[in-house]
Amino acid sequence: MSDAESPSDFDTTAQSFEPVQVFPNNEDMDLRPGADNCYKCTACDTSCPVAEVDEDFPGPKFQGPEQWRLKRKEDQAVDDSIMSCSNCMRCDNACPSSVPLSQMHNTARGEYVSEEMNKLSQEYIRNRILANYRFFAKIGSKVPRLSSAIMGNRLVREINERILGLPAEREFPAFATETFREWWSNRGGPKVRSEDKRVAYFHGCYSNFNTPEVGKAMVRVFESFGYEVVVPKQGCSGTPMFANGMLDDAKREAGITVENFSGLIDEGYDVIASCTSCSMSLKQEYPELFSMDGIEDLSAHTYEAMEYLRINEDLHSAIEDASVEEQAYAYHAPCHARNQGLDRQAVELFRDLDGVIIEDVGDSCSGISGTYGWKKEKYENSMKIGEEMFEHMEHATGDVGMTECPTCSMQMEHGTGYDIKHPLQLLEEAVVE
Amino acid sequence: MTDTPHVLVIGGGSTGCGITRDLAMRGFEVTLVEKGNLTHGTTGRMHGLLHSGGRYAVSDQASATECIEENRVLRDIASHCVEMTGGLFVQRPEDDDEYFQKKLEGCRECGIPAEVLSAEEAREMEPYLATDIKRAIKVPDGAVDPFRLCVANAASAQEHGARIETHAEVIDVLVEDDQVVGIEVKHDSGPGKREHKTPGTTEKIYADYVVSATGAWAGQIGEMAGVDVEVRPSKGVMTIMNTRQVDTVVNRCKPKGDADIVVPHETTCILGTTDIEVEDPEDYPEEQWEVDHMIDTLSELVPMLKDARTIRSFWGVRPLYEPPGTGTDDPTDITRDFFLLDHEERDGLSGMTSIVGGKFTTYRMMAEKITDHVCEQFGIDAECRTADEPLPGSEDFSVLRDYMDEFGLRSPIGRRSVQRLGSRADEVLKTGEPNPVVCECEAVTRAEIQDAIEQSGSDLNAVRIRTRASMGNCQGAFCCQRMAHELYPKYDEETAYSAFDELFQERWKGERHALWGQQLSQAMLKYSLHSTTMNADHDAVRTGDAIDFTAFDGGTDAASKSGATGAAATDGGVSSPGTNGGDR
Repeated sequence: MSDAESPSDFDTTAQSFEPVQVFPNNEDMDLRPGADNCYKCTACDTSCPVAEVDEDFPGPKFQGPEQWRLKRKEDQAVDDSIMSCSNCMRCDNACPSSVPLSQMHNTARGEYVSEEMNKLSQEYIRNRILANYRFFAKIGSKVPRLSSAIMGNRLVREINERILGLPAEREFPAFATETFREWWSNRGGPKVRSEDKRVAYFHGCYSNFNTPEVGKAMVRVFESFGYEVVVPKQGCSGTPMFANGMLDDAKREAGITVENFSGLIDEGYDVIASCTSCSMSLKQEYPELFSMDGIEDLSAHTYEAMEYLRINEDLHSAIEDASVEEQAYAYHAPCHARNQGLDRQAVELFRDLDGVIIEDVGDSCSGISGTYGWKKEKYENSMKIGEEMFEHMEHATGDVGMTECPTCSMQMEHGTGYDIKHPLQLLEEAVVE
Repeated sequence: MTDTPHVLVIGGGSTGCGITRDLAMRGFEVTLVEKGNLTHGTTGRMHGLLHSGGRYAVSDQASATECIEENRVLRDIASHCVEMTGGLFVQRPEDDDEYFQKKLEGCRECGIPAEVLSAEEAREMEPYLATDIKRAIKVPDGAVDPFRLCVANAASAQEHGARIETHAEVIDVLVEDDQVVGIEVKHDSGPGKREHKTPGTTEKIYADYVVSATGAWAGQIGEMAGVDVEVRPSKGVMTIMNTRQVDTVVNRCKPKGDADIVVPHETTCILGTTDIEVEDPEDYPEEQWEVDHMIDTLSELVPMLKDARTIRSFWGVRPLYEPPGTGTDDPTDITRDFFLLDHEERDGLSGMTSIVGGKFTTYRMMAEKITDHVCEQFGIDAECRTADEPLPGSEDFSVLRDYMDEFGLRSPIGRRSVQRLGSRADEVLKTGEPNPVVCECEAVTRAEIQDAIEQSGSDLNAVRIRTRASMGNCQGAFCCQRMAHELYPKYDEETAYSAFDELFQERWKGERHALWGQQLSQAMLKYSLHSTTMNADHDAVRTGDAIDFTAFDGGTDAASKSGATGAAATDGGVSSPGTNGGDR
């Protein structure tokens, strides 16, 4: 059976992701009862990439169910080691017993940052900046060439390391000369109109400011399958904010997104993201962490781009019929894609595309985990975690990398020097006339 | 024999330990004997409730008044054993308004601070209370750890020169000419701290006076002395939840009834209870319906209990007593007051007094009255100081400063350690040695375990009640063996094994009553871990069986010889089907 052929009773809403609802209707989240599910098997700890390289990190079991169970209502102090969790969410996937680990971590981190962290410390300021990448990218992309030149300057990077605690080793991604949204409005919006096949695109910050080619590919691919694509106003997905415990910032951004997307869902639009962390956030973290009108609905209707096409179209036949110029890829599945069960889809699909060699570089974490690898004190660990992936990439036939996640792609490029593509770009090459 | 009178106290529960401390502080020479660990009887099986008196404010105002007085005393002298959670009497729509009013007035008459909360206010305090509750009365109930409280009393008594003998069962009361002159005990492992595998001995201990503080066992001791003490033991179940669904003591505001209280206790909640008269305090049925009844009924107050994880259940026996001829049928109607039975007045047997009835919260007051009585016997005029002098661990709370950094422990671990140790934290935790966590569920570190071993010898159940190690959600799956390891090399391998088995067995006893849902998974994981990593179910070293070497195959060499051409694969299996000579 191809991906598009569904049994007649196949109900996409029933199959979609069901978030763990530990506490509906309670704003002051108390996750102690979530510890009921933990029987301490330690599968989460053995899957944690940070615990593997960082001896001082006590691991997800302690951060999550143990710490919550030991808390009392009036207790304020969350252990500072929560700031070393990279929010890769592998523990969620490893747990055989549905402990809401990442929700516990996110909530504890939020509490730590708001109650215990010095708001004037370099760490707080740096994290606030990293978490609010969108804000700075928006300014930077007004003068893209100048910003890229400044941020790329070696001296600036040294200063950034000293003043802001950003590792000088890392190169800032260049800003696009035309953002995705600029391109979209210059283009005049949707080229295809449809009553029954319609999607709302959540492009996220990175494909807007840095890699508009990914966004463009998404639009062209979906339009070639006859979808009407709209691009509503949107905030940051919140992923970097969760990872830095900036829950107020994340809530603000989520508010913008929920407000602008939930009406469209009523009109029959599904929500598509091209970044797997963005889709993860909308699907899982939003309803776990915030209660807002329409947030559950948004969660139930959000899909990653290729996931959506594999469910609703005969993508496999389209790929089998197509061919592209010879090219070979070293594919890395981002942790957040793994959590959504999407870690094999690019490989399963493209291995049947004429002209393409694609190899999975294994199930290790890339090590950057969004903003984690962008912190000077974490840089070394980030690279240690990534070592396995770099090595496997070098052993792979292809010398171009492929991944869905913007920060994984930064890390892949940083560790190997390869160019990195998004699967949608190859899909565009294969199926768009 | 010195001039100081020697008093022998039987029973290491709250009353016995309290009496021992008081007597020792008033200058007596005291020996305490207990057949198990401290708290072995009813004290270790209590609810953990520090009464405000609210529960007795309608039915028994004298007890209620005593409770609120002692509640205040304990907050002071035992602050490291007490958590002032506050308590609520919650009225559901079907509960009687008139009783609610009586409860409120009763509290005020007894001097118990009581405040009426609306349903919203109560739910703001305790978000998981049922949405349809009507209102609540807020009272100063609290949670108390009976284990640490008894241990602290015993430790203080020791500081004042008392001798504490645990695992010393009374096998005879020595009577000469209608006078009790002492007792004979059987030491499980010789006098002093318990050490497994040390041969037991018997010892006759002579004393000038004997106090039997044996609660539900008072009848048995009485029998040995030839007197009749009619205790009416009544069992009650308590079910422990894995987490704290509430941080406040939640009572149902109803005249009386089973399953009407939830007490937050350390990391858990305890649901209680039933009240059923039993014949023998050590042999009574532990029935599943009692546990189900707790969860079903208390879910009316806190609905999330219905699906929450239960980690174990235990039963305790109340040492109820009423003077002969009172003839109350229903055990719930028997008074909770205590009775001092001077056997000289009562039975013409001098030299011994039994104390029966009473409740944990007022243990100190009871001890004071008994000690006064003993003083009278000897014409000694010494003042009671137990209400003013803090127990070891509660002396100086300036220690609660930045303990986390100081002890190099992670935040919740440091905090929980200090909550348990109180002012002893410095002395116990600052060892200068590596201090890993031994029990993850309850955040107990090696230093605390070692301190407990120092106090109690090779008995890991005694270590458990001092530290809470193995009392969390895995019920010792991950820490029993680590605790046993801490005994070595001070105690040898064989001793550590025995102590381990004893602890493991004790954990299993309560866990049996929670084998469904998550705790069943937990128990299976525990079983698998212990059988696969320690061969716990078949370890020949421990069973003493000879190892049946013939049950093993000959290894891969033999396999390749018997197969025609097959070669062993690197993983120890056979290389691939079809190459091993077709013996399938």
